[in-house]
Amino acid sequence: MAIGFPEFVDNPENRCPVLLLLDTSGSMAGPAIEELNRGIASFKEDVLKDSQASLSVDLAVVTFGGTVKKIQDFVTVDEFTPPLLKPDGYTPMGEAIEYALDLIEDRKVAYKNHGIQYYRPWIFMITDGAPTDAWTSASQRLLQAENERRLLFFAVGVQGADMDKLRQIASPERPPIFLNGLDFRSLFLWLSSSMKRVSTGKIGDSISLPPVSWGTIST
Amino acid sequence: MDCKAVVSSEIGTSHQKLNLPCQDYAQYCLLENRAIIGAVSDGAGSAKHSEIGSKLAVETVLGYLKGVEQHTVKSEDSLPPSLKNVRQIFTAVVKKVQEELQQLSDTNNYKIEDLACTLLILIATSEEIMAMQIGDGFIVIRPSNEEYQLLFKPNKGEYVNETTFITSSTAIEDMQVDIISKPISFICASTDGLEKVAIKLSNYSPYERFFNPLETYLQETVELKEEDYLKPFLQSPSLNSRTDDDKSLLIALFKE
Repeated sequence: MAIGFPEFVDNPENRCPVLLLLDTSGSMAGPAIEELNRGIASFKEDVLKDSQASLSVDLAVVTFGGTVKKIQDFVTVDEFTPPLLKPDGYTPMGEAIEYALDLIEDRKVAYKNHGIQYYRPWIFMITDGAPTDAWTSASQRLLQAENERRLLFFAVGVQGADMDKLRQIASPERPPIFLNGLDFRSLFLWLSSSMKRVSTGKIGDSISLPPVSWGTIST
Repeated sequence: MDCKAVVSSEIGTSHQKLNLPCQDYAQYCLLENRAIIGAVSDGAGSAKHSEIGSKLAVETVLGYLKGVEQHTVKSEDSLPPSLKNVRQIFTAVVKKVQEELQQLSDTNNYKIEDLACTLLILIATSEEIMAMQIGDGFIVIRPSNEEYQLLFKPNKGEYVNETTFITSSTAIEDMQVDIISKPISFICASTDGLEKVAIKLSNYSPYERFFNPLETYLQETVELKEEDYLKPFLQSPSLNSRTDDDKSLLIALFKE
């Protein structure tokens, strides 16, 4: 009698959490916010083209314009509705970063409770300004989290951004990047390609990210 | 009491695409059909010559333990070793493997990290099993008249893409060891390529319908050849649709 092959258990996909931390302060009004909105939509579109990445990427969006708001909790990309961001108020970046750090740690607890394995989370911050609140504690927490390899923090400065401040906030290993014009589209396609690489990464591998063609690394 | 076993390793589809070799290696030896020594190793994807590392690690383990175990297996009335003894035995094995890897990298001008690999070892008679694990992969056993049981949780870092290797400085302290002193019916050791299809990760329980056919195959087959069952399974499109990594299976059965 022929013996059947082993059957497979269904385990949830490995996740790569990505948190978009977006400056929606008043100064982003006009073409900047419009291009940012389009960029986010193109991110969704591009991730969905890749079957592995669309199962793995978990996306959340936090904005800081006037107040810090979680406008999208973590969802898989197919369930993600790109928001229409509206600019308003000052730039509470320090508070926003701390909030993002908390969200990431909460998300990890949820993964662990459900036996879901995950890649190192990404926080991807985009700003055209400088913090209008206290940011020292945020940057200390960031640095510690980066040193403990708990996450990766990327800062992108749009025209008008205080790159000196961003350099002080971001980890020295990953200096901020200054966006070419308003080329959010290329930026988000890069983010999507990076996620495709991460989500097919093998155990023990460190991933080399695609080259940054959409901005200049500010060292 | 008789032991029989079969082993197979197969390249993953992602390695084929990239023209990489199969970096897994697994082998066993039987001592007078009463005891089995087995070792399974997964060469790190990021290490340049890890297929050499995994093979050398496994061969070193078997060569070394054959010498040590030949006489201990014979002394029937000896007490089962304590967990501390077991750790000592495996620590000695790991040091031996590290020496061999170091020597090979010196001779060939490799860095020792170029040979990075995981390592799982089992030494079993029908009365007990001793096992160790460095890095990911899994060993599942079924004690007689009991359910399948996973010996060690896969030793991963916080993130999916991190694990310990035998070449890591923390290899010996990260090594998990265990001894189970009761009659064992079935043993399965594997690399992490099969982890997602064989182990329910939310509670680290072995999936019965994965292991049961393997055990039945061993029970019902007189002459075990890897190309008759294990290899076709490891090459099957249904499996390859679920994992693109290299994968190894070492299965053994103790039978009255």
